Amino acid sequence: MNWANKLQSIDRRIIYTILLIGLTIPLIWPIGIPLAVNDTTRAVYKIIEDLDPATDVVLLSFDYSPASAPDVHPSAVAIVEHLTKRGIKWVGVSFWPEGPQMSEKIMRDLEARGLKYGVDFIDLGFMAGMENAIAEFAQNSRVITTDVRGTHIDNLPLMNNIKTMKDFGFVIGISAGDPGYNAFIRQAVDPMGVKFAAAIVTVSVPAAMPFYASGQLRGMLQGLRGAAEYESLTGVAGRGAAMMDAQSIGHLIIVAFIAVGNFAYFLSKKK
Amino acid sequence: MRREIPLLITFLVGIIFLFGPITTGNIPVLEMSFRQIVSTYLSPWTTIITAFAIGLASINLLRLHGSYVARKRSGWINSAALVISMLFFTVARIIRELRPTDPEVVAFYGRIFDNIAAPLSGAMFAILAFYIASASYRAFRARSLEASVLLVAAIIVMLGAAPVGALIWDYFPSLQRWLLAVPNTAGQRAIIIGAAIGGFATSLRILFGLERGYLGGD
Repeated sequence: MNWANKLQSIDRRIIYTILLIGLTIPLIWPIGIPLAVNDTTRAVYKIIEDLDPATDVVLLSFDYSPASAPDVHPSAVAIVEHLTKRGIKWVGVSFWPEGPQMSEKIMRDLEARGLKYGVDFIDLGFMAGMENAIAEFAQNSRVITTDVRGTHIDNLPLMNNIKTMKDFGFVIGISAGDPGYNAFIRQAVDPMGVKFAAAIVTVSVPAAMPFYASGQLRGMLQGLRGAAEYESLTGVAGRGAAMMDAQSIGHLIIVAFIAVGNFAYFLSKKK
Repeated sequence: MRREIPLLITFLVGIIFLFGPITTGNIPVLEMSFRQIVSTYLSPWTTIITAFAIGLASINLLRLHGSYVARKRSGWINSAALVISMLFFTVARIIRELRPTDPEVVAFYGRIFDNIAAPLSGAMFAILAFYIASASYRAFRARSLEASVLLVAAIIVMLGAAPVGALIWDYFPSLQRWLLAVPNTAGQRAIIIGAAIGGFATSLRILFGLERGYLGGD
């Protein structure tokens, strides 16, 4: 086998090792590659900036699991940091069983910093029923009667003025699959006119683009990059920016291997 | 009657769901709108049925893998791991739900979730990056015009999406955004609208009893 053929069939273990090293080094020693902010991210930021902390309550739907957390959890953290910075209160809910554990992490951190559960934020926990649960919660947001800490919603001042999803100042779905942003669009945005944006996994971005173009999604955080962009807008450093360097190097390595494979392919064809 | 009654229920429920979002005003005699029937009765029922479906699937999974363990079939150790971890997490979560204000119970569940479930799930997802790297290297070859277009688009999207792309060439991010916003959006819209029309046609077939696969048998 000549070297052109060898370059077309590099052992996968070599690719894995190079990728592992390429991803690990920037995580340990970040490079700090500058990042431009997408319009979709800026749109979410602008809506939150325009909310009134005295009257508006934001609904955050934590619809992801630990598997997709590296891609979307930094977005959830970045959005909560922005809400906290602006003094906007939020209500959490989940239509994925693992969702409450993801919001629990964020709430633990906020409580450690002196914010108060029940005053600054609450979590209604998981509601079973997939897309149908989203429909039910949209029409009657008091259908969940107790929060994750066992308090009845009548005793939670944050829920005082909330009857349907339309009563929230802004709804953000942090979603990694089904049910996710498209279920919110079908059940809450189109029939009720709910103001909605989403933070989604990178792989879902192409499928979500038509909904942003049509205005059904008012804004969108595109995976880990969206989180990094949001952190740069709010000025609160988080995991998103730190992990973007690793993503950059990872993409470069993949492109380099594709280039090597094609170069060798053309060389072998010429011979 | 075993077939007619389910067909009738399907037709009635389907019609109510169909008319719910597109009609206003009350139905004579019932004094309720289609929308009210959906939100008051059908939505909670569907939620309960979905929850039961998850319960049923869990019991089925336990029975299947329990029998693999009992018969010591090949790979039974994996089945045993599944049964034990499933029961452990189910019991732990039930206790967590029953005692939501007990800080020790909350902390214990948090610990097992953060230190067992989260790293395992994260690791499974992260492995994809390595498969994708290897698969891209093998699959993206400019063997034909179509493959070349795909290859160029993939490189633009990959470099445009990562911050390093802008350092290599200023136009990578704007080209990536254009690919996503124009050709991709057009293609996705075609898929979404096509699938919606297909779904509507299938729904009509189910409503009118032409499609009976969901009843089982024949």
